[in-house]
Amino acid sequence: MLEIRDLSVNYGHFTALHSLNLTVSPGEIVVMLGANGAGKSTLFRTLSGLQRPSGGTATWNGVSLTGGKPEFNVANGVAQCPEGRLLFPELSVEKNLRLGAFVHRKDAAGTARELERVYELFPALVEKRNVPAGSLSGGQQQMVAIARALMARPTLLLLDEPSLGLAPLVVEQVFEAVQRVNAAGVGVLLAEQNAFAALGIAHRGYVLEGGCVSLQGSQHELMTDDRVRSAYLGV
Amino acid sequence: MSTFLQQLFNALALGGVYALVALGLTLVYGVMRVPNFAHGGLYMLGAYLSYAVLTGLGWGYVPALLISAVGVALLAAFMERVIFYPMRNAPHVHPMIAAIGVLFFLEAAVQLVWGPDFKQITEPVPGIVNVGGVIVTWQRLLVIAASVVVMLGLNYFLKRTLTGATIEAMSQNREGARLVGVNTNRVGMMTFAISGALAAAAATLIAPIISVSPSMGEVMNLKVFAIIILGGMGSVPGAIVGAFLLALAEVFGGYYISLDFSDVIGFAMLVIVLALKPQGLFKRGT
Repeated sequence: MLEIRDLSVNYGHFTALHSLNLTVSPGEIVVMLGANGAGKSTLFRTLSGLQRPSGGTATWNGVSLTGGKPEFNVANGVAQCPEGRLLFPELSVEKNLRLGAFVHRKDAAGTARELERVYELFPALVEKRNVPAGSLSGGQQQMVAIARALMARPTLLLLDEPSLGLAPLVVEQVFEAVQRVNAAGVGVLLAEQNAFAALGIAHRGYVLEGGCVSLQGSQHELMTDDRVRSAYLGV
Repeated sequence: MSTFLQQLFNALALGGVYALVALGLTLVYGVMRVPNFAHGGLYMLGAYLSYAVLTGLGWGYVPALLISAVGVALLAAFMERVIFYPMRNAPHVHPMIAAIGVLFFLEAAVQLVWGPDFKQITEPVPGIVNVGGVIVTWQRLLVIAASVVVMLGLNYFLKRTLTGATIEAMSQNREGARLVGVNTNRVGMMTFAISGALAAAAATLIAPIISVSPSMGEVMNLKVFAIIILGGMGSVPGAIVGAFLLALAEVFGGYYISLDFSDVIGFAMLVIVLALKPQGLFKRGT
């Protein structure tokens, strides 16, 4: 269970998150909607230990995520696929994936098994395994980024804008993969601009505005909410 | 023809040493994004540590090389902790100035202990060898062989081990490396240690050919910075290619044009390459 209580994050005098409360149960897909600058990436950076909060708590299965040690959070089962992917462009696809399993470096057999699983999830990556990740198409790079996060064998996957800049058909593939990962029991917290696709696969959702939760509800409630429909679904 | 081959051997030996020193510098730049101006100081200290083990303790050349490499590696890692790590969020000019300070400090410290005059390290294998009509000293052959072995070892470490891959990963995307759980502090220290060990090994290899003095680090600094700028800052193949290019230009320029101009030729080449390819020979994607 991801429990975020009264989480605040400041950059200097600017408050990026303002007493945010949010939960994700194991095995749930939760979507966060919100415009640029609403605080989604700040929340993800905080949950990955890259950013220290100025107040509040965030725990995954009771273990604090705000200690400022990203490697600890990954080992604790929280992996992030960041916006912009942040791949290692000159390393091969496979080496990117193997580095994703860095926290399991003592367990070679487990990493080999996981590698097989992510290639099964994204078969397009198999023939690209020895190609530098930076030379792949945007969609394939996004697959590498998700696969790299999965190599850490997370129980909670943080997905930041996975559909950004991708063709509709590729978005569909990516979201299908997310559903399959979730079906295997991995909780997913998903930040998306593509609200329609995201709500399509989510169980619940939150709407972030100016660093606060302005609205929350089930998939059905958000889909039928007039404010969500006009602001994020464009209907 | 035989003088040409003779000069070629000289250039290969010099290039091997340049490559070892430049590789450490380029790795540190890739990981820390800071040019370590103290690198020449580490190189110089490596030569003196070997000298101390050889003359002070009376031990052999190989133990001297190993002790010096380990000693300078530890010092470099310590330097990362107490100088570069605390300044990681400061403007880049701060760690640069601190590094220059370390360079002067090391020079002054060495001068205090061993004095300002030249020291000589005797060749472990004295004499010459006739390679198909070309007369080469054993020491030059040793330098070439040892630098190739060290470079192959480094290549294996960077390309074939996960720990080595973290160095490349961090230089290509620091935040991405943190997100997969790489401890970037540890990688930073490790990279500094490797750069120190390489510099010390290079200094010990070339010391019997040149002489050891406190200012040898400053000269080497200029050259290896020229090399990694030539090859592309942070690029591993660039450092190796740049090192051998500079060595070839210096040796052949010195022989066929004038020995007085050998340094000038190297830097003239740098100016020309940068005028044509401002990013260096091996442009990095990031």
